Amino acid sequence: MSLFLAILLRFVGLVALLLVNGVVLIYMLRKVLARLHLRIGPNRTGPWGLLQTTADVAKLLTKEDLRATPTDRLLFNTAPYLVFVPAFMAYIPIALSPVLVAAHLDTGPLFVFAVLSMVPLGVVMAGWASNSKWSLIGGMRAAGLQIAYEVPLLLSALGPVMIAGSLDPLRIVAAQSGTWLGFIPRWFVLPQIVAFFIYAIASQAETQQTPFDMSEAESELICGFSNEYGGMRFGFLYLAEFSNMFIASAVGTLLFFGGWQLPWVATPLWLAPIVFIVKVYIGIYFMMWARGSLPRFRMDQLLGFAWKVLIPVSLVWVVLSGVVIRLVSR
Amino acid sequence: MPAQRVADILAAAGVPSAPSDELLGAVVRLEASRVADALAALLAEGFDFFLDLFGTDTGEAIELTYHVRALAALDDVFLKVVVPYDGEAPSVWRSYPAVLHAEREAAELLGVSFPGHPNPKRLLTTEGCDPFLRKSVAVRSAEEVRLPRE
Amino acid sequence: MSDEPVTGVQSILPEGTQPTPMLPKGLKRVPSGVDQLATEHLILNVGPQHPSTHGVLHMLVELDGEEVIAAEADIGFLHRGIEKLAESRRYHQMGTILDRADYVSGFHTETAFALATEKLAEIEVPRKASWIRSLVMELNRCASHYVWLGPVGMDAGAMAPFLYLMREREMILDVLEAISGSRMMFNYVRPGGVVRDLPAGIDAPLRAWLAIADKYLGETEDLLGGNEIFRARMKGVGVIAPETALAFGMSGACLRSSGIDFDLRKARPYCAYGEIDFDVPLGTVGDAFDRYKVRVEEIHQSVRIVRQLLDGMPEGEHTSKVAKALRPPAGEVYAAVESPRGELGIHLISDGGPTPYRLRLRSPAYYNLGVADELLAGGLIADMIVSLGSLDIVLGEIDR
Repeated sequence: MSLFLAILLRFVGLVALLLVNGVVLIYMLRKVLARLHLRIGPNRTGPWGLLQTTADVAKLLTKEDLRATPTDRLLFNTAPYLVFVPAFMAYIPIALSPVLVAAHLDTGPLFVFAVLSMVPLGVVMAGWASNSKWSLIGGMRAAGLQIAYEVPLLLSALGPVMIAGSLDPLRIVAAQSGTWLGFIPRWFVLPQIVAFFIYAIASQAETQQTPFDMSEAESELICGFSNEYGGMRFGFLYLAEFSNMFIASAVGTLLFFGGWQLPWVATPLWLAPIVFIVKVYIGIYFMMWARGSLPRFRMDQLLGFAWKVLIPVSLVWVVLSGVVIRLVSR
Repeated sequence: MPAQRVADILAAAGVPSAPSDELLGAVVRLEASRVADALAALLAEGFDFFLDLFGTDTGEAIELTYHVRALAALDDVFLKVVVPYDGEAPSVWRSYPAVLHAEREAAELLGVSFPGHPNPKRLLTTEGCDPFLRKSVAVRSAEEVRLPRE
Repeated sequence: MSDEPVTGVQSILPEGTQPTPMLPKGLKRVPSGVDQLATEHLILNVGPQHPSTHGVLHMLVELDGEEVIAAEADIGFLHRGIEKLAESRRYHQMGTILDRADYVSGFHTETAFALATEKLAEIEVPRKASWIRSLVMELNRCASHYVWLGPVGMDAGAMAPFLYLMREREMILDVLEAISGSRMMFNYVRPGGVVRDLPAGIDAPLRAWLAIADKYLGETEDLLGGNEIFRARMKGVGVIAPETALAFGMSGACLRSSGIDFDLRKARPYCAYGEIDFDVPLGTVGDAFDRYKVRVEEIHQSVRIVRQLLDGMPEGEHTSKVAKALRPPAGEVYAAVESPRGELGIHLISDGGPTPYRLRLRSPAYYNLGVADELLAGGLIADMIVSLGSLDIVLGEIDR
């Protein structure tokens, strides 16, 4: 009984985290972009427009579930879940603090990348099943993009893992405690600065945000693969995108920014989740900043950048850091 | 450039024309069937910029005006040809591709045709619209317009 | 046509094959539109409801993967028959419908019509009226270029510059509203002059805009032209060779970015332009980035012109006496102005009556769009959007 209860609690906790994240992130995106664009953003629904996203979620939930006749029924209905479920699963190994984690996996980051690599399948499925040329092109673009950027994403995570000597999130974070020379926090972002930039770029691409928002590409493909979706099916696709943003920033925080630890001082256990969430949101803020100010790449430039620049650089970096780590640890 | 100069250029290319200097500028009137040759000759003489083609319903026929310019010398020439209602003038797109849209527009709005046009579809209006730049087509309110139904 | 020279691949055609007639200079293919029977290719309908068609343009695009094989502009969704309607309007009423032709820069159409009418009816225009016309036209040019520059950034995916430029445009529209009483549909320039004098106190808001215009535009330039991604998207995309630009009768910034120096304000000075000092920026390559640079520089030049016009604004009457029921003598005239999109001409035919017998609007964007067929083939979908946006099309003026 207690086991069942524990699983249920964790499940509910994860769903709550995901939904709250989605709502907060959508509000945050609107406000951050508005500030960048000299606009005000939502300010009518609730104080400071805080209830705007809640109202939107209510609207999406109560909308009629429409499906155009020429769409492929089975694939069309399944695709949003195929996008949403991996995004949800990716929360499992994310450790908010040494104890606050849904399931302690020894291969945390690897698990996250593995489940997230299923997302393009759902995206292609959505694009194909929509039976719309725009959706199809959007889906194909998304697949090409995600496959290309998953490689540097994974390679960039190798550096911190090699330093920590483990794939376990807890041990990766533990390896980042303390300081160098007494005042520099032992965060892996410093020795792994190149890997961090590769990770930042690749995760921006994985979450399909502006310089890489190929699959949506509003000015080209209108709304890309989610063109034909409405109501909560669209809500799922949209929510998955925001949850991916959180995951990308969370894994980045674990790998490069010392997880839930404060620099210089020991972090009390009760403060750890708050520190972690704040760090994640700072990361997300930077992602939104890039989203608000950069133009979009062209598809061929984007793939060229991934295969010709990011992957070779990250490969060289992995070898280089491997050699250095070996020399230092001797 | 005086209209007579233009007429000389055209005469050298074997196109007879009637020049006149008007308030508009140098105007040259000629046979509709020879307009393609005339414009080809003008292009060869440095009239490299095509400004406009439009038609006017004179009450008896359609008058087409071709407006070309020599950019370097800033000379404007207006070629005018008269085609009967539902008549035709050769397409001049091989000299001036700029005319492609204008010919399609003139064809549908004035009811003339331009043989040799590579894509002779309607441009601005839908199938069944009257050639309403003709004087015989009155301006009507939206309520009065009845498109033919199948 | 068989006596025409045979070039390229056609010269090695097997014996007895009929060579296709030579194409006009500047063209790669016969502009015969999209082959809708080519089933192995994807036929995509871009628009008329699409975020990047700048109005209600419908592009018929034949795709091979993401590559555009052929493209065809299908226009007419905004066709209101302005030329027909003009035949039933008196001369002083014409502004209302002409504003709605090029709704982004109404002053240029109004002025072209006023110039044509004045030429036909031999009306003298007071010097001050000419200067006011130039002033409002230059302000309108800046407003129009802002509305081009922002959306072209959006076409490339950058949202922010659009909203930054709206801020400056708002300042201009406020000034234009104070002058004419309307933000876009001005109906202010009439044959003989302008409707009323510049309002008192217009100097302050204008100078406020002049003070920030160059600086704020510089910031936008940093954000767009200074951005590597934007440059990569614009450079070498949508290249229009000089001969192609000429072949399609392109004018304005599109023609000048291909390196052809032609600006009506310099070539045939009208209004106050003969007395004003300004430069005409030129491009070299003719790609989308050149068109971006030329237009941005044109805004800087317009700021310069507005400053001179404001400093040297003459005293005097703002209009000459013109009969309400103007009946110009029978005749035919052509008058043109350099609108933000190119040479905007009014061809006016009068039979001596109170309304024009025929009014033809030579729309620059209409001819600039003619190049679409030639320009878009061979690029990707993303290039198509950027190339099309860089032409600065205004559908109200194209469809009329």
